[in-house]
Amino acid sequence: MEANESINTRSLEDIASVLDFAKLDRSEIKSETQSVYFSEHLDSESFRLLELDKAVLEAIENGEKVVLRGDKEDCAVLCTDSQTFEVKQGEISNAMLILPNIHFGPELSTNDEPSVRYNEVNSVMHSFFELRPVKPRLAKLRQLLEKNPYSGQAEEGDDDHQGKKFTFNELLDLVQGSENEINTALHKMQALIIDGYWRVLDFDFLVQVMGHLLQLCDENDWTHSGVPIEECLNVLQELYPRSVVEHVIHNFCDKAVPTVSGDDDEENRMQIDIDYHKLNEDKVCRFFAEQILKHARKFNLSHFLSTWEKSVPEGMKTSLYQLEGLALIDRDSTPEVISYMTVDTLPEDMDERFNFLFRMKEKWSLADITPYIKDLETDKMDVTAMLTKVARASMSKGIKVYNSRKPLT
Amino acid sequence: MVYFRPGDAGKPQEWAMIELQGTLETRHPVPFSGRFIGDLHFTHKDVPVLIIGHHILYGKLVSLEKPYGILVKDRQADTAHASYTITAIIRKKLLFKNRPKPIIANVPKKL
Repeated sequence: MEANESINTRSLEDIASVLDFAKLDRSEIKSETQSVYFSEHLDSESFRLLELDKAVLEAIENGEKVVLRGDKEDCAVLCTDSQTFEVKQGEISNAMLILPNIHFGPELSTNDEPSVRYNEVNSVMHSFFELRPVKPRLAKLRQLLEKNPYSGQAEEGDDDHQGKKFTFNELLDLVQGSENEINTALHKMQALIIDGYWRVLDFDFLVQVMGHLLQLCDENDWTHSGVPIEECLNVLQELYPRSVVEHVIHNFCDKAVPTVSGDDDEENRMQIDIDYHKLNEDKVCRFFAEQILKHARKFNLSHFLSTWEKSVPEGMKTSLYQLEGLALIDRDSTPEVISYMTVDTLPEDMDERFNFLFRMKEKWSLADITPYIKDLETDKMDVTAMLTKVARASMSKGIKVYNSRKPLT
Repeated sequence: MVYFRPGDAGKPQEWAMIELQGTLETRHPVPFSGRFIGDLHFTHKDVPVLIIGHHILYGKLVSLEKPYGILVKDRQADTAHASYTITAIIRKKLLFKNRPKPIIANVPKKL
């Protein structure tokens, strides 16, 4: 480098003599030269470079909230409203000189007179932060909420309910995910806010509440005519907090669609000024199956089916598809068995998940395995793509089945 | 929180980068601040040419697939929730990855 040259003092003669020295003819280059200096205030610590994924750049440009979560830099995640990215440091051997101002070829002046412009480098970088899209650790979310499941107002003060409770913001910080992803997960696990904290309902408590709800429906024949919300809440809020009852009703009922006018059947006509909901047969039946399966974990299939049929409210019909993602049926054993298995307790890492599933059962049909891997889908890889990667297909009893490509650990 | 600070015209400040192989050095240890680095020229075909010391480097203009944000930590009393601002974006760089050509000094003519 040239010694003893103070900033921004290079003359056209200086430039010309270097061109001459370099044997670069003036006719080969554009007339405007940029002489580059290190700034007087060179500082390579004042900022970092963050590689911006398209989604992140758009979010920032649109003024959406983009948050960095995590205390140490090597464990940080970056979240837009709907996506989560792991932040990793990438080092390169090249030197990256940062200039706030520069003209690129097409921007240079086109007149023939040699001219000089001075540009400054304000820092030199050898590393940058890069973003990798990841799924938030939702298993952790469930673990946190299960520290203190809600079992009723009276129980809140007892010894079993002194575990930590979490607000939405606390969950965002601990689970490290975007707001949308966390909200969707909370909705899926049927969590609700009680006194400002997100809670899941203790299963036995839910059984109690449902017991009362279904009994009320049965007494008033609401299973057929629809559940009038206000009336139902007025009765049940004597026993349980109103918000809890509302939450349970919404989880097991669908908003009723009024019947077409001209239907003369008085008993089935909906009154349009009352809010009605209809019990969802699939969800209710599934709930009864869960009650049975949770107790014994593994059942003789035909025994289970008859118990299940008898347990559901009158007028409701059980079907196997209602058990998707809840239980696994083994038709190869004698007698055939059914076991309780939900996706929430399975490993989150893709390789670990498949290892677990193939250890449990050697060959899986697409229909059987899908509920247990669907949550791992990303933009780039759907269920079929995942299976192509980790499994080998073959035919068994006329159906396509998958087994592991790799040896199991 | 990561905020974005728009420039004066409401649009982001656009900065640029020159990427070089290796690192810049001086013959003797001296501070870099304020020092001259080199002359940047462009050919008529817009090829960037950089002359640093006794080397001439030919490079190219690269539009970054993933632009870099300039991330500045906001000075705050509350360190529990640090926030950052992206003050500028780098969308293009001049990449000099070809081996620099050393400039051979003129051999003095025999007298």
